[in-house]
Amino acid sequence: MKARTGYSTSLKQEFLKKWIKGIRIYSNFKKDMNILERKKAIKLSADLAIASTRNASTRWSRTLTANISKNETNKLFVEQIFSDSEVIKKEAPSRLMARSNRIASKKIWRRSHITQIKARKMGPYAVKASSIAKKLVKNRTKVLKSLVPGGENMDGISLIKETLDYIVSLRVQVDVMRRLASAAENSTRLGLSSKCSVHWLQGIFTVLDHWCAMVH
Amino acid sequence: MDIAGKDATIEPEKGNENPVNYCATNMSSDWPLNDNYLPNTSVGMIPRGNSIMESSACSSAPMVDSFCPLIWDQPVSEQNRGYCHVNIQNNARTSDSFGPSAGTGWIPDTMLRDDMFLPTVQGMVPQSLPQLPSDSGFIERAARFSCFSGGNFGDMMNPFSVPEYLNSYSGMLASVQGQHEVFAGDGTKLNTTESSKEASLPLVYGTEGSPLKNEKMRECLPCSREEAQQGVCTLANDSDEAEFSSRGDQEELEGSPRESSGKGVESKKRKGTEQSTALNVNNRALKPSAKTAKDDAEIQNKDDLNPTTSKPSGKHGKKGLQWPDLPKEEYIRVRARRGQATNSHSLAERLRRERISERMKFLQDLVPGCSKITGKAVMLDEIINYVQSLQRQVEFLSMKLATVNPWLNFSIEGLLTKDSRIGSSSSLGFPPDVTIPYPPPHQTPPGLIQPDLSSLANSSNALRRSINSPFTPAFRESTSQAPSMWEDELHNVVQMGISSSAHLSSQDLSGSLPPRHIKAEP
Repeated sequence: MKARTGYSTSLKQEFLKKWIKGIRIYSNFKKDMNILERKKAIKLSADLAIASTRNASTRWSRTLTANISKNETNKLFVEQIFSDSEVIKKEAPSRLMARSNRIASKKIWRRSHITQIKARKMGPYAVKASSIAKKLVKNRTKVLKSLVPGGENMDGISLIKETLDYIVSLRVQVDVMRRLASAAENSTRLGLSSKCSVHWLQGIFTVLDHWCAMVH
Repeated sequence: MDIAGKDATIEPEKGNENPVNYCATNMSSDWPLNDNYLPNTSVGMIPRGNSIMESSACSSAPMVDSFCPLIWDQPVSEQNRGYCHVNIQNNARTSDSFGPSAGTGWIPDTMLRDDMFLPTVQGMVPQSLPQLPSDSGFIERAARFSCFSGGNFGDMMNPFSVPEYLNSYSGMLASVQGQHEVFAGDGTKLNTTESSKEASLPLVYGTEGSPLKNEKMRECLPCSREEAQQGVCTLANDSDEAEFSSRGDQEELEGSPRESSGKGVESKKRKGTEQSTALNVNNRALKPSAKTAKDDAEIQNKDDLNPTTSKPSGKHGKKGLQWPDLPKEEYIRVRARRGQATNSHSLAERLRRERISERMKFLQDLVPGCSKITGKAVMLDEIINYVQSLQRQVEFLSMKLATVNPWLNFSIEGLLTKDSRIGSSSSLGFPPDVTIPYPPPHQTPPGLIQPDLSSLANSSNALRRSINSPFTPAFRESTSQAPSMWEDELHNVVQMGISSSAHLSSQDLSGSLPPRHIKAEP
């Protein structure tokens, strides 16, 4: 258990640092943003940060970064963030296609073969029941694939693996954001705020820095 | 055959009482099946049900004579024990190294009647119990080996610096449930006859000391230790142990090296024989995030295994033939369970299923509230809901952070105290009385999404289901409470966050909002 908590704590710290960095860069890009833009900036930075903690070792992180970079306006942003660090690796699309085709054809063969065998072994009702169950699973797998970034071309086993990793990262993200939000609220509630024209991001930075100091 | 007598002699030294009888009965029933196989030494049985059958099946082939039964964990240990002892006796008979006893009468001379086992045996028909290295060390190893659940296979495989012919044994994987497979752990000691190879070297590595963190392993461990103590033959292979530890280091992820190695062990696929991989057992304890590392280790294990495994007999699956040339190809060696199809494709299918189920177990630990769910479809449903709720939370929180008053000037002291408080409460999320600073008046409140109450309700449910936390109460409060400006603000923000941002539009949430803003402005 200790190792686990230690690992997730370091993950959180890493995520937080990268997130702050991203927000700072973004705010330097655009000085004045309305609430929507701010939200987008926050979310983008958070996604990029959490994806970069994986160092492009997982499919979902690569896909997430790639999706963000697709947007032209984000591209500069992304490049700036990653200028000093990791390289964003992308799997060649052709390889993906070939692999998915291979997998698909294998699956088709396997499915037909197995249904034959099963039809011989089991009664017709049993076959039907199992096929219904399989349909259910298949539909849900499809949904899951749409949820997890980059899950489209993966087979069941690696999909579950990616999902696991993705869930862990999402939890880290949510946890850090939640803490930050509550910190902000609490300080507001306690009336520690004073009105001045400090940029909103600077306010967040202060919170984050303090929190980092606390954590370390 | 006086199995009963044997059982009596066997007497669970370990102290497991019941099993003996059980073993006896099992043995009797299985004997005919196994012929000369040492009765289900392979026991490991799978817990309950088919275990005996399968275990016997497993044990049969190679183990045959020499195997020292793998004593497994409680439920099965008994059985094993019985078998084990029987085997020992059997071995003794064959190898002449042991004392008397083993009335071999119960071992029919017809070997391998069961085709199922044949493959594993590698064509080896143990007509006469092959002369296994009749040293107690071998038996001890076998016993130890059998104790290990599949997870240990990795370790076991390790030492496979065994001669090629022994490789055929290495394929055995203990089933998750605990079938054990006696594995030809140390080929060097075995006779070079084909049969002897098949006979299996139980991969009993002196891994007692190894950090078997896996639960199953833990279970097996005591068994193996006991076995060792019993003076079962040990294939004392120092190299094995060394390999083990080194492998353990390599695989060390979260402190359960053996588990990974166990996973690696499962790599060889044998046609016609299949056993559920013990992957899930091992994987359970591992952190999900460590999976990639584990897989690497697994692959590494497989690499180690490959060169050491001998070419399978002609009956083996296609994969088996490529061992020496497969550097990193991941293939699994499985053994067919008794009564199941031995087609290589169905084996592959079964293997795949097992891997999936093993991974689902990890997910069960991760997704809250899924401990009782068995079944892929329901699990997938829960997973989907959880992922969706997490994503929505991210959206919501980012929106919430965006509304932080830009000109909040956080004082250090306040933050420090707040942070310390926050740090202590991990699930701090939505304090019910949260007051969200509303955006400054000059900012358009709009961007507020059209109130989508249904989606809000759904998201609340989803969140509650998955998070089970303050979120829902906060939502409820916000929606039900009277209209204080703050509550409305929260409500709006919540709605904004919950609905996907695709729906963002610049319509005013409600016409009354702007006036409220102005009113509330200090």
